[in-house]
Amino acid sequence: MRDPRLRISATILLSAGAFISTPGAILALLWWLLFTPRLKAVPSPRVLLGVVLMITITALVSEVTGGLGLEYLVRMLPILLIAAWAYSDRQESELLDVSVWLMGKRIGFDIGLTAEMGLQSLQLVGNDLAQVRQAMAIKGIPFTVRSVVPVAMNIVVNQLRRTEEAAKLLTVRGYTAGGEINPRFETTGQDIFLTSIALLTFFTSFLAF
Amino acid sequence: MRLEADIEVGRGDFRLSCQVAFGRGVHLISGPIGSGKSTMASALASLIGYEGRITKEGIGSATMSLQFPEYHVTAASVRDEVLSWGLDPRDVIGRAGLEGREDTDPFKLSRGQLKRLNLTCMLSLEPDLLLLDEPFSSLDCRVKALICESIEAREGITLVFTHERSVLPRVDTISHIEDGVLEHHGAVPDAIYRWRSPPPYLRRTLDADVLPKNIRLEDCMEALCATRG
Repeated sequence: MRDPRLRISATILLSAGAFISTPGAILALLWWLLFTPRLKAVPSPRVLLGVVLMITITALVSEVTGGLGLEYLVRMLPILLIAAWAYSDRQESELLDVSVWLMGKRIGFDIGLTAEMGLQSLQLVGNDLAQVRQAMAIKGIPFTVRSVVPVAMNIVVNQLRRTEEAAKLLTVRGYTAGGEINPRFETTGQDIFLTSIALLTFFTSFLAF
Repeated sequence: MRLEADIEVGRGDFRLSCQVAFGRGVHLISGPIGSGKSTMASALASLIGYEGRITKEGIGSATMSLQFPEYHVTAASVRDEVLSWGLDPRDVIGRAGLEGREDTDPFKLSRGQLKRLNLTCMLSLEPDLLLLDEPFSSLDCRVKALICESIEAREGITLVFTHERSVLPRVDTISHIEDGVLEHHGAVPDAIYRWRSPPPYLRRTLDADVLPKNIRLEDCMEALCATRG
């Protein structure tokens, strides 16, 4: 999808649809199967697999203890897959563009900038983690549950340092609040079609609730 | 002692290849920023995947210093950080210039201090194969010179991946990475002629039709003085 406004809308509609009811979750999964490159669109299959595993364990525990674990799993799976697709399909600065388009050049710019910086940090965390794992391999320290604390400490400290540098940079450049940006979007027929199906999924899910 | 590599490394669309052999001594691998020096160093240290073959003869121990020293930190104090390398803090901390900072959090050191601490630890380990990724970044000229002395004094194979242009150690061979290929220029001093990006002082020496014995500033000054009487 080329228009980020419609992609984000479709993501929200499908996620909400999947969360509201099980038929909605099945429809959202079908949407993902039919209209996305499926597993090719997953940015990090290992990370996704880890998250799916965590949710599966939670669901199983819930099911065994008398909760609705299976239903929870069916609802969460399409939400995760659609989030992975939306993340891999995004383009640089589009959150800033959409935010400014939606909320204007002051609050919209601030929220968009924060969102962009958050996503950038997410990418950097992946790199940090890979580097820390290499450093631990060099020291001969196995990457186990016991190493979570030093690894997390390393990543948090690096993130805080980068945040401080970004804040200084914004201050030096004279940033106080808001900013000037004129976003432009290209909407295709496919964008409108896919968003309409997502809207239909949401309403069907809402009616089935 | 010998390290031979005939490998290709991929990083997204970027491909990097090398066909090279390193014996005992100090080997410089230069290249511009983003040319793939860190990737190649990680591959040669077998820290990332690669296609092809790396052969290590007579190499019993190997270690690598990452470009950013923060990633190496696993302990909450300088003393424990040295201990995490299996070293005696009493020996290392003084040589790293950190006397009295034993209880300091490594993250509270400046990047230069942390870099020096890491390099001192790695050099103290005396591994057969030592890969140094940008060892001179964040260091002042005095400490760079000290690190150069320690590198020169080593017994095993030392690979120095750097784009440093002012303070360099005495080296045995020169290689250069550019456009996805590691090009081996051979042994010094002949390799100096083939080196694509020598530092400015070395370029000026070569422009004066003088070939120094090695790549350090002292070597160039000595060669120029000898020529001019």
